Amino acid sequence: MPTPLLQINQLTVTLKKRQALFKAVDNLSLTVNKGEILGLVGESGAGKSMVGSAIMGLIDKPLFISSGEIYFKQRRIDTNAQPVRGAEISMIFQDPLVSLNPLRTIGDQLLETIRTHIPLSKPKALERAKRLLKEVGIDPARINAYPHTFSGGMRQRVVIALALAPEPSLIIADEPTTALDVSVQAQILDLLKQLCKHRGTSIILITHDMGVIADTTDRVAVLYSGRLAEIGTTYDVLKNPCHPYTKGLVAATPQINGASLKDKLFQIPGSMPDLNNIPAGCAFYPRCTQAVCQCEGEQPALFDNRTACWLFDKGAKPK
Amino acid sequence: MSYVTASGLTRQYDLSDPWFIRMITGRKANVLTAVNQVSFSIEKGTTYALVGESGSGKSTIAKMLAGVLAPSQGSVQIDGHDFNNPRLDNANKKMLRQRVQMVFQSPYASLNPRWKIGDILLEPINAFNLIEDKATRQKRVIELLEQVGMSAHDQTKYPHEFSGGQRQRISIARALACHPELIICDEPTSALDVSVQAQVLNLLKDLQQENGLTYLFISHDLAVISTMANKIGVLKDGELVEEGETSGLLANPQHAYTKMLLAAAPDIGAYIS
Repeated sequence: MPTPLLQINQLTVTLKKRQALFKAVDNLSLTVNKGEILGLVGESGAGKSMVGSAIMGLIDKPLFISSGEIYFKQRRIDTNAQPVRGAEISMIFQDPLVSLNPLRTIGDQLLETIRTHIPLSKPKALERAKRLLKEVGIDPARINAYPHTFSGGMRQRVVIALALAPEPSLIIADEPTTALDVSVQAQILDLLKQLCKHRGTSIILITHDMGVIADTTDRVAVLYSGRLAEIGTTYDVLKNPCHPYTKGLVAATPQINGASLKDKLFQIPGSMPDLNNIPAGCAFYPRCTQAVCQCEGEQPALFDNRTACWLFDKGAKPK
Repeated sequence: MSYVTASGLTRQYDLSDPWFIRMITGRKANVLTAVNQVSFSIEKGTTYALVGESGSGKSTIAKMLAGVLAPSQGSVQIDGHDFNNPRLDNANKKMLRQRVQMVFQSPYASLNPRWKIGDILLEPINAFNLIEDKATRQKRVIELLEQVGMSAHDQTKYPHEFSGGQRQRISIARALACHPELIICDEPTSALDVSVQAQVLNLLKDLQQENGLTYLFISHDLAVISTMANKIGVLKDGELVEEGETSGLLANPQHAYTKMLLAAAPDIGAYIS
C-alpha cells in the first residue's frame, strides 16, 4: 500500500476555558491519498473546520493540540506547519469576498503569493499568474481588475487560483460553495475535480451538504461531536450507511423526485450536544434509535475501519 | 378563484443619474427591470415555489406579494383584495397585512437580539389588537411556542440562547401569531444544517395541514422544492420562463434554463435508489 500524502494519528484538539477542558476534536485518525478528494461532513459544530485548521497549524489559544500527530509526506507538521503552510498545503475559504483584499488588484495578490513561495522574477511570476487565471477560467486580460468587479463565482475562482499558485499537493476547501448559487457551485466543484485529475492534487472538501459530497468526493468521513462516526468510499457510505447518524443524515437530505408531497423527510430527533455536555459513551447515544448495551457507558472504537458504532461490535448485546 | 393571483407583475428601479447631470453629460436614463411581466396564481392550501439564481427577482416578488413594495405595473390580488388599490380603506389594508406573513432567510438577522422571545411573539398580536385580555395573550404565546415544538419557559429567553433551527422555529411562530392565511417563506432553510432543515421543513408541512396555510416558497434548492411544492415557477432575470406541477416539471423540464438548474443541483438520489 502506498504511503498516504497526509496522515492524522489520534488527533485531539482541546479547548481550555476557565480551567475546564473540552475536546473539540477527539481522537481522530484520517489519511488522505495522493490525487483523491476526501469529504469531511457533519453538522455545524462537529469539528470539521477545526480539523482543517489543525492541519494548517492554525490552532491558537484557547485551543491547543493536546495529543496526536499529523504527518505530511512523512514529515511531522503538527509541531511546526510553517514550511508547508501555503506552499504545500493551501486553503480555500467559504466567503471569497472576505478572503480577497479589496484594495489590491487580483494580479497583485497573485504575484505576492507566487513570489512568497517560489523565487521567480517579476515578469516570470506575472506570466505564471496569467496562466493560473486561464486555468481557472478567467480571462488573463483582467489581471489588473479589483475583486469587487468580479461576481461571487468569479471571485471564488480567483481564490482557487491563489490556492493553486504555489502548486500545492493538498488543498483544504472549507465550504467553498456554500455562499454560491447552484449553477456556479456546479462550475466550481467541476473545476476542483478537474484540477484533482490533471494535477494530481489532493483535496479535503469540508461541507455539510450531502449532495455536494455525492457529486464530488472519492471518500468521505462523517464527523459528530469532534469524533469520527464513519469513514469509507463515498459509494459505500451513501449506499449502505452503517452509523445511525450517517443513516439519519442521508435520509434527511431532500432528493429531487425523491418523495411525494405527503411524505415527510426523516428527521433525527434532538440536536448535537454542546462541547461541555458530551455524553460519556457514544456521543450520538441520546439521539440514537438503535442503541445497544455498551452505548451509554463506553466510547466505541472504529470497527472494521469503517464505523464507530457498537452495533458493529461482535459482542453487541441488544438492550 | 385562486387565493393569490399575480398578473403582469413588473418592478423597475431607476438607476439613472440625476436629471441635471444627464442634461450636461448626455447620458441616457438607466432603468433596471428586476421583475418583468410575471403572472402566476396560487390555490388556497397549496405551496407555490419560486426557483432561480440570485438576482432573478425572487425576493422582489415576495416583497410585492407582502405589500412592502409596490409593483411598477401589474397587480397582486390576495383573496380578491389588492394592496395597491388606492380605494382600499385602512381596515381592509390592516386585514390584508394580517393575512400575509413572512419567514425570512436568516434567523440570526430577523429576530431582535434585545427582545425576549415572549415579546417577539406578542408584537404581532398587539399590533393587530387580536387579544384584549393579558392572561389570554400569555396563553396564546405559550400555545404558539408549543405549536412549533418549543416549550413555555423559552419565552423568557433571548434569541442568542437558541440554535439556528430553534430561531427559525421562533420566526415561524411569529409569522403564525396573527392567524395568517398566506406565509411567504424566503429561503427559510438555506442557513441551516441538513438535519435541522428536515425538522423545519416537516414543521412547515405539519402547520400547512393543520391550518390550511398557503405558502409561497422561495428557494434555489431544487431538492428542497421537490419535497415541498405543488407547483414550481422558474425565474430567470426577472421573467417566469417555465411553470408547472412539481413532478411534471422536474421529470420533464422544457426550458433550457430549468434543465441547466436541474443538472447543476447536487443530488444524492443516484446513490439511494
